[in-house]
Amino acid sequence: MNRLMYSIMLSCKKACELIDKQSVIKLSSKEKRMLHMHTSMCRACKACKKQSSILNEFLIKNIRSTSETHVPQTINNDFKQQIISKL
Amino acid sequence: MQNLIDTSNPTATIKNWVQLYSDSMCCWALHKTSSEETAKDLVQESFLAVVQSSIKFKGESSPKKWLFSILNNKINDHYRNSYRMPIVDSNKIFETLFDTEENWKNDQKPQQWAEDSEHIFDNLEFQTSLKNCMGKLPQNWHSAIQLKFMEEKNGEQICQELGITNTNFWQILHRAKLQLRKCIEVNWFKK
Repeated sequence: MNRLMYSIMLSCKKACELIDKQSVIKLSSKEKRMLHMHTSMCRACKACKKQSSILNEFLIKNIRSTSETHVPQTINNDFKQQIISKL
Repeated sequence: MQNLIDTSNPTATIKNWVQLYSDSMCCWALHKTSSEETAKDLVQESFLAVVQSSIKFKGESSPKKWLFSILNNKINDHYRNSYRMPIVDSNKIFETLFDTEENWKNDQKPQQWAEDSEHIFDNLEFQTSLKNCMGKLPQNWHSAIQLKFMEEKNGEQICQELGITNTNFWQILHRAKLQLRKCIEVNWFKK
């Protein structure tokens, strides 16, 4: 029975792979179908999928705001002198 | 004329460019890499490349534009190099989370996060916690995340720029996300 299940069902590891894969490449319709089937039956992977998109959303916000807030208005003169001395 | 290289004293011109443009170049590099140290290194390398003049300014664009194109190449090199570094124990994360039949180990199953998990975005402590988790990722996993979420670029564009395959990229991204998810669950939601 188990073996039959695996031929039509994704493993959790594969399902999680597809969750992240789809943020980079479009999934095939077969992959989409199998992922959907798996996450509708597996609570752990369903949670993983939801958390993955929460993380995505957070990372977008967080990384962008970090790169904005940490930009110094002027790089100190020491640094300029350091480059110049190496030229 | 600050814009044209004085052929009798090219270094003087370049020094002048350092004074004029290194600030904005640093800001840009910092924006792209999120590391002040890396940003400074890349800017410095750009100017060194100009002096060692493997590349020549032909006056086809403004010096600023030209310097930025050199800097952008350095930034891309930086990311490309971080991908070439061998991934240490890259499959360890899978072994930690999944059993031999590729299903979640009992104690590793993702738990439901608290209902209000959407609001954690604004929580400073959570942000720090996430940053710590990010800091623990191997360098190239970290840059995969950086590249993916920094700009509105899609995966294919990123891979093209870096000269790596789609598969390579999403697999690195996948490992990084799994690790982050686990780190946050352990350090935040189970606390």
